[in-house]
Amino acid sequence: MENRNKGRGGPLSRRSFFRLAGKTGGAAGAVVATSACEGQPAGGNGWVPEQYNAKGNFPVQVRGRVPIDPANLSIVRDDRKCILCGQCAEACDHVQSVMGHYRLPLIDTIPCVDCGQCSLWCPSAAITERDDSTRLLRAIADKTLHVVVQMAPSTRVALGEDFGLPVGTNVEGQQIAALRKLGVDAVFDTNFSADLTIMEEATELVGRIAGKGRETLPQFTSCCPGWVRFCEMFYPDMIPHLSSAKSPMTMMGAMIKTHYADRKGIDPAKIVSVAIMPCTAKKSEAARPEMNGAGRQLGRPEIRDIDIVLTTRELARMIKAAGIDLTALPPESCDGLLSEYTGAGAIFGNTGGVMEAAVRTAYFLATNRRPPDALLEWQPVRGLKGLKEASVAIPGVGDVRVAIVSGLGNARQILDRVRSGAKPWHFIEVMACPGGCIAGGGQPRSAVPPSDTIRQARSGAIYSVDERATIRLSHENGEIKAVYESYLGRPNSELAHHLLHTGYTDRSMHVATGNRRD
Amino acid sequence: MSKGVLVDLTKCVGCGSCTVACKMYNARSWIDDRAPSAGPSALLADENWTVVRKVTVDRDGGTPAWRFVKQQCLHCEQPACASACFARALQKTEDGPVVYYPNLCVGCRYCMVACPFDIPKYEWGRSLPLVTKCMMCASRIAEGQRPACVSVCPTGAMTFGDRGALLEQAHTTISGDDTYVKHIYGEKEAGGTSWIYISDVDFSKIGFKTGMTEKPLPSYTEKYTHLTPVVGGAWGLVLAGLYVFNKRKKTVSKRDVDARAAAGTGEGDGTGTGDRP
Repeated sequence: MENRNKGRGGPLSRRSFFRLAGKTGGAAGAVVATSACEGQPAGGNGWVPEQYNAKGNFPVQVRGRVPIDPANLSIVRDDRKCILCGQCAEACDHVQSVMGHYRLPLIDTIPCVDCGQCSLWCPSAAITERDDSTRLLRAIADKTLHVVVQMAPSTRVALGEDFGLPVGTNVEGQQIAALRKLGVDAVFDTNFSADLTIMEEATELVGRIAGKGRETLPQFTSCCPGWVRFCEMFYPDMIPHLSSAKSPMTMMGAMIKTHYADRKGIDPAKIVSVAIMPCTAKKSEAARPEMNGAGRQLGRPEIRDIDIVLTTRELARMIKAAGIDLTALPPESCDGLLSEYTGAGAIFGNTGGVMEAAVRTAYFLATNRRPPDALLEWQPVRGLKGLKEASVAIPGVGDVRVAIVSGLGNARQILDRVRSGAKPWHFIEVMACPGGCIAGGGQPRSAVPPSDTIRQARSGAIYSVDERATIRLSHENGEIKAVYESYLGRPNSELAHHLLHTGYTDRSMHVATGNRRD
Repeated sequence: MSKGVLVDLTKCVGCGSCTVACKMYNARSWIDDRAPSAGPSALLADENWTVVRKVTVDRDGGTPAWRFVKQQCLHCEQPACASACFARALQKTEDGPVVYYPNLCVGCRYCMVACPFDIPKYEWGRSLPLVTKCMMCASRIAEGQRPACVSVCPTGAMTFGDRGALLEQAHTTISGDDTYVKHIYGEKEAGGTSWIYISDVDFSKIGFKTGMTEKPLPSYTEKYTHLTPVVGGAWGLVLAGLYVFNKRKKTVSKRDVDARAAAGTGEGDGTGTGDRP
């Protein structure tokens, strides 16, 4: 460098070079030092939804989100996807009347009925079911295990939506085929155990009306785990009114590990009982400690009725992950023994469905006569209205008055009336999710939030199964009759009580409600 | 009028909306692997300006109770961090927030040492790290809006307003309800903070630093830090004096040597006085 400069004739010694550099640097430093502007303070370079940006201190109507216990067995949330739109809180507070319907401070639990409606409202799918699909894959991969799957009534009329089929397409046959392709060993239909539930629950109802427990009328249905949990937390005084019949899912689980295992000669401990459900609350229901009816009966209480519960959404993801085109599969049918179903069992997925099915059979149980045709198309209990009432004259019993609610916010209205002494009803069906299981918290997100159009289409698909069915009364189900003849004895028998009935727990000490009994 | 936030811990349900709002508004990343922003092990960190920590406490009867504690910078009335910062990178604004100017920060981290609540965090993972902490959404307050965390809270656990009015409100609440602890955290701690808390569980049981001084922390050092210009000036004078003294000493000794050489003693070479150029 020095040489080059010399060549040009400009003498630049090392000393003068450093002097020049020093002066330049010093000048630059002085400029920076004297002009050192504060610049912008840190933070504030992101965004929040517009409703939060107004001046003043007025509360924002739709704000925040629901609290979710990280230990919740049914639902989880990915904080990175949450945009604080407030929709989950809307669903929880205004539809389900859970969030905001307890006093603060909290006690030792985050009140949640696990219904999963928030996961259907969440626009960014930050809230989802707790994914248990890898547990099923592991079970399938283990050749020493016998994997038995049951599929709920509502899953077949919604699964197709995740494969581009029109809303309400019934893909029962393809769903069974897909499950077999995934590698499960047997597929049973929860529609069968819905019929079984009717046998138990209708017998119980007829018994209560006949006098054994009139004080516990009205009888409430108990197949919806979201509703059961809601009752245990907020209306523990109503627990005696709950039917002791388990849900179809857990009844099936108990039958699989006893009757099916026995018939097949399989060690029940080697059976993995899997349930495909439209519901997130079914995950926590399966984990309830008392849901080991089969295990207790066998003297091995570690055996669970249900080992894994997957939502319709999880099943759809598993089928896609396996590269199976559901729409192209030739339909298959379920394995025998625990799969035959009637139109009555099929309509369990609709609000009013359990009621219609139960009353059909209750009519028969009380009169020993076939119910009139009007009860096969019982319009007053159908439809998406949140609160429905009807009555039917049963000879020898009189007028049986029933009510049907879906959506826990609607349930509160009925419960408050029952609690205040108004008890004009004999039987009340409660479904936590508006519209019933067809719009359960584990169903495909085909509209966000779920719309009545979608509910109507799925509901219609379920009623058409009933219409087309040759047998529409649970007590005429051939496999049901066989199960009672060869195994259970009769409805509400001692064995049936051990396997198919359950008890409930007052959880109100964990939730500070205005209605708490202290 | 200085603003503040009143947190009623009995109303917090632990939904974590506030932590999400903070991440969104301040564009911070999620680092739940090393520092969760909610749950029992929630931890303030460079990316977590606010967290909601779940605490299980034993109540009087021995039954456990869940409480959720929102943590963030308390925005002291007289912040120690700002007093420790010689670059004026931390400043208490008239609105209340203690804000941080990254452009001014030299990275000395005195603020982190000074803070009695252990709030400022350092971006250890970055090659050009900055100090970070809650800004109380100063830019929103300047526009008449509430801090992001306050505006999203679904249960109304936080109230934003003039600090004086909030203190009054807090006093009314705790004196009218026996379940509350008769103490307003932040009313006097460290000379008072912009964020104040009321609770139904003893503050020491839910992770608050209790029994701390009510004197503003800067007041401990103010007396002598105010002497800094005097000390600096005096030191300059001392050094200048030494310089003049040394220079004169050199001149005198050179003159002596020169004088001796001129006298022709001839013994000057190599017997130097060490002042060769």
